[in-house]
Amino acid sequence: MVNDQIVNIKSGETFERVFLNEPSVNLRIIQEAGSHVKIHVLNMPSKQAEGSNLQTISNKIFITQTGENCSTEIYALAYLHNDESVTTETHVAHAVGGGTSNQLLKFILADHARGHFIGDLKIEQDAQKTEAHQTNRNLLLSEDAEMRTQPQLEIYADDVKATHGASTGQLDESALFYMQQRGIDKQKARQLLVNAFMKDVLNTISDETLREKLINSLDSDL
Amino acid sequence: MSKTLLEIKNLHASIGGKEILKGVNLTINEGEVHAIMGPNGAGKSTLSAVLTGNPAYEVTSGEVYLKEQNLLEMEPEVRARAGVFLSFQYPVEIPGVSMTNFMRAALNAKREYEGKEPISPKEFLTLMREKKKLLELPDKLNNRSVNEGFSGGEKKKNEIFQMAMLEPCLSILDETDSGLDIDALRIVAEGVNRLKTPQNASIVITHYQRLLDYIVPDFVHVLADGKIVRTGDKTLALELEEKGYEGLNL
Repeated sequence: MVNDQIVNIKSGETFERVFLNEPSVNLRIIQEAGSHVKIHVLNMPSKQAEGSNLQTISNKIFITQTGENCSTEIYALAYLHNDESVTTETHVAHAVGGGTSNQLLKFILADHARGHFIGDLKIEQDAQKTEAHQTNRNLLLSEDAEMRTQPQLEIYADDVKATHGASTGQLDESALFYMQQRGIDKQKARQLLVNAFMKDVLNTISDETLREKLINSLDSDL
Repeated sequence: MSKTLLEIKNLHASIGGKEILKGVNLTINEGEVHAIMGPNGAGKSTLSAVLTGNPAYEVTSGEVYLKEQNLLEMEPEVRARAGVFLSFQYPVEIPGVSMTNFMRAALNAKREYEGKEPISPKEFLTLMREKKKLLELPDKLNNRSVNEGFSGGEKKKNEIFQMAMLEPCLSILDETDSGLDIDALRIVAEGVNRLKTPQNASIVITHYQRLLDYIVPDFVHVLADGKIVRTGDKTLALELEEKGYEGLNL
């Protein structure tokens, strides 16, 4: 399998993979010119799993665009409970120009869960006209949950578009009250907001069957 | 004799240690429409927040009964299921939660409270369609996120739409007229009027007489500095409009 290997994506090829609940992902991808890569790393262990099973998840994704006009998309979603923890590292390097990279990573941490995101984005001197975006959004559902975010941007080319943003917050109290005012109990209101937060990552999955299955499984919990 | 729906006795409430309501007394019977008017900061919105159980406010003394049940002891969602509905002054946008999922969750929570089975998907969609028509809301509403990207008028119509879906016994309309143009105001007011029954009641909180031309109140109360200082019939609103609060010599 691709895990723990170096994968070469040939010129013009498209590579898409959804990693669902793998304890660790270790992915090294070299992209040739005009290739497309779309990766989803989804860590949504069952909520029912109880306390004792401490789970530590490690995701490492290295992607280097070695040819021009490549596109890279990385989506990550972690929804952790109890003492679970996740570290997700993305290392995206644009060695040559005209490429795009888009990253959206969301962490939802309940109970004592911990999350750590390291987002390493490098745009080399030759990588002019690169467009790179990295977004990290996190929800803390308990006072004991903890999130660390470490974006690292190294940009050596001058004609590029690069953005990054990180935010960590809690559920919107006014939205919770609004839902309660309509008779929805607080627990369910929280779950509706969490599901909404997750859906825009899940909506980017190309495989329609899998996408629908994952989204429907969220709603069926309600 | 109509039955008492809501009874507020000597209600005091504060936010952040500051007392806003300083002894409100109000009795509302089934079938009645009560308007509450008053200057900014008088406590109008605090009253609606306290009645619905907004956790930002603290009730320091007093009692509130809804159909003889102690309202203040009930969680906000239980008050809603028991029939208290607030049309928010500022409806909250909830990105990613569709109107369909939201409305179904709300309706089924109420049905469960009443000991009824969840509504069937077919019945639910029929009900949605019927009530949307009442408020002249577009069909595509179902898939839109709650209030997200709605215009001011659409948000207020959406509040009354939700009221139509949930059929509350006590509706509190908190400045439902603010930000509405005259057409939207007419639609919203007609919606409210059509939902009126001999068994339910409304509290209409407003700054302006204008709304009361459309939703005609049985009683008008003036709330000032945390207390109801005058009560009259609909002519009191006209008098207020003419003379202002200062002219009433409160």
